[in-house]
Amino acid sequence: MSAPLVEKTPPANWILQHPAYRQMEALEPADRAQLHAAFLVYMDLTEVRRWTEVSCMKSPELRVILLEGKEKDGAPVHTILPLPAHQSLSHSSICSVLDRGFPVLLCAVASDSTLVYQRLTDGLVTPDPPVGPFQDLDRRQHRKRRQHSVQQHREKTRSKS
Amino acid sequence: MEDLSVPRREELQPDSSPVVGISVCDSAPLIWRVQDLKVVRSGGLVGALLGSLPRTPRQNGRLGRPLLLLPEEERLLREGPGAAVLPRPGGERGAELKRRFEEEQTSSQEEQSVLALQDRKAALLRAMTSSLTEEAQQDRLGALDQNFVFPRSALAVQLSTARAGLHYCPEARSFLEAEQPIKTQPSPSSRFQVFRDLRGRGFFLTSAGKFGGDFLVYPGEPRNLSCLRLRLPPVLPPLVSSGDPLRFHAHFIAVCVESDRPVGVLDLLAVARLGSNVKKTVLLCSPVADGDVRYTSLQWSGMV
Repeated sequence: MSAPLVEKTPPANWILQHPAYRQMEALEPADRAQLHAAFLVYMDLTEVRRWTEVSCMKSPELRVILLEGKEKDGAPVHTILPLPAHQSLSHSSICSVLDRGFPVLLCAVASDSTLVYQRLTDGLVTPDPPVGPFQDLDRRQHRKRRQHSVQQHREKTRSKS
Repeated sequence: MEDLSVPRREELQPDSSPVVGISVCDSAPLIWRVQDLKVVRSGGLVGALLGSLPRTPRQNGRLGRPLLLLPEEERLLREGPGAAVLPRPGGERGAELKRRFEEEQTSSQEEQSVLALQDRKAALLRAMTSSLTEEAQQDRLGALDQNFVFPRSALAVQLSTARAGLHYCPEARSFLEAEQPIKTQPSPSSRFQVFRDLRGRGFFLTSAGKFGGDFLVYPGEPRNLSCLRLRLPPVLPPLVSSGDPLRFHAHFIAVCVESDRPVGVLDLLAVARLGSNVKKTVLLCSPVADGDVRYTSLQWSGMV
């Protein structure tokens, strides 16, 4: 009988040895927390969301690691700005990332590695309007609504007593 | 004294366009006169109505004059050609007005005190159970009569705006013309610069305290396609133009920050989350060097 295949457990510091991490480290960012955040976002984009052509570079003015990638083949290139959630940034920093010319995603990385992506766009973007069809309530429907809510209230108080 | 280097107002604008009079009450800029309210609104400034109705004083739905202006709105009005602070009536006339006001307040307090006592007695009678003897009830009512005090702080003050002579009077115009706008203003704050820029682009702006931002921005340009999705009546009344907050929901929550001031990532997330909950785009606004303003829209990415 052949021996069962034993999976080698990765070493405790597998992140530090990961080639992508080494690559980002070589760019010499300003702080390690941002580097770690950038790596987590990289893993999320490549392994979880399966984005393509994900690469890392350094923003010269801000000295932070930026990521670039496409959601899938043929999709537009996005710039991703990974930041630990406890840090701050100024509007001028945001503008310098936007000036690269690609749509920007800000990714906030929490201490438990939760990732939240927000889209940043230059200028005024009108929000999507609420979905129709709309219908103004007539008097009968107003009365129905009120009766219904009064009934509910009565049932609640009845069940409590 | 008129400054001769500045052209007279009649040359700048036709005679029919009135000058808006602002009354300052404890540093709050108020507009009382209907004519002034119309001018202000047709100029695209919304303000907030403060006055209530005498029969339903404790409500927030139907409000009337005066109109409270945002500090940015007041500044914009004063920088333009058509507004100045109304002079306070001084000297004898001022003293007489004050005396008459005090008299009215005192007589109102006496009336209200009588009515309040009646109210209290009725409430007491309702509350007293029938187990108390007739004598005990009378004792209680007597005690109330003796000890009841109606404090001045409980007085309901009613200002009758219709009867108080707040109609537009042409002779006040000569007072207002003499008040030139202040030449040396303090440097405009970032909030004011953003307000002025957005107003200049035709948007309507109101205060956004409810949403944690600085201003709510309503669509202003008539070519804005999203306003076509709302059902508009065939003829809009002349005072209400496209984008007026009476008819449209806001599109943006404007947050004014200085360009270099660091903002916490968590704060950005909080305000963006709030914006997506109410279906508005969060707008980060910063004035930049050449008087321009840079805008960044913050939206949910859709990536769960």
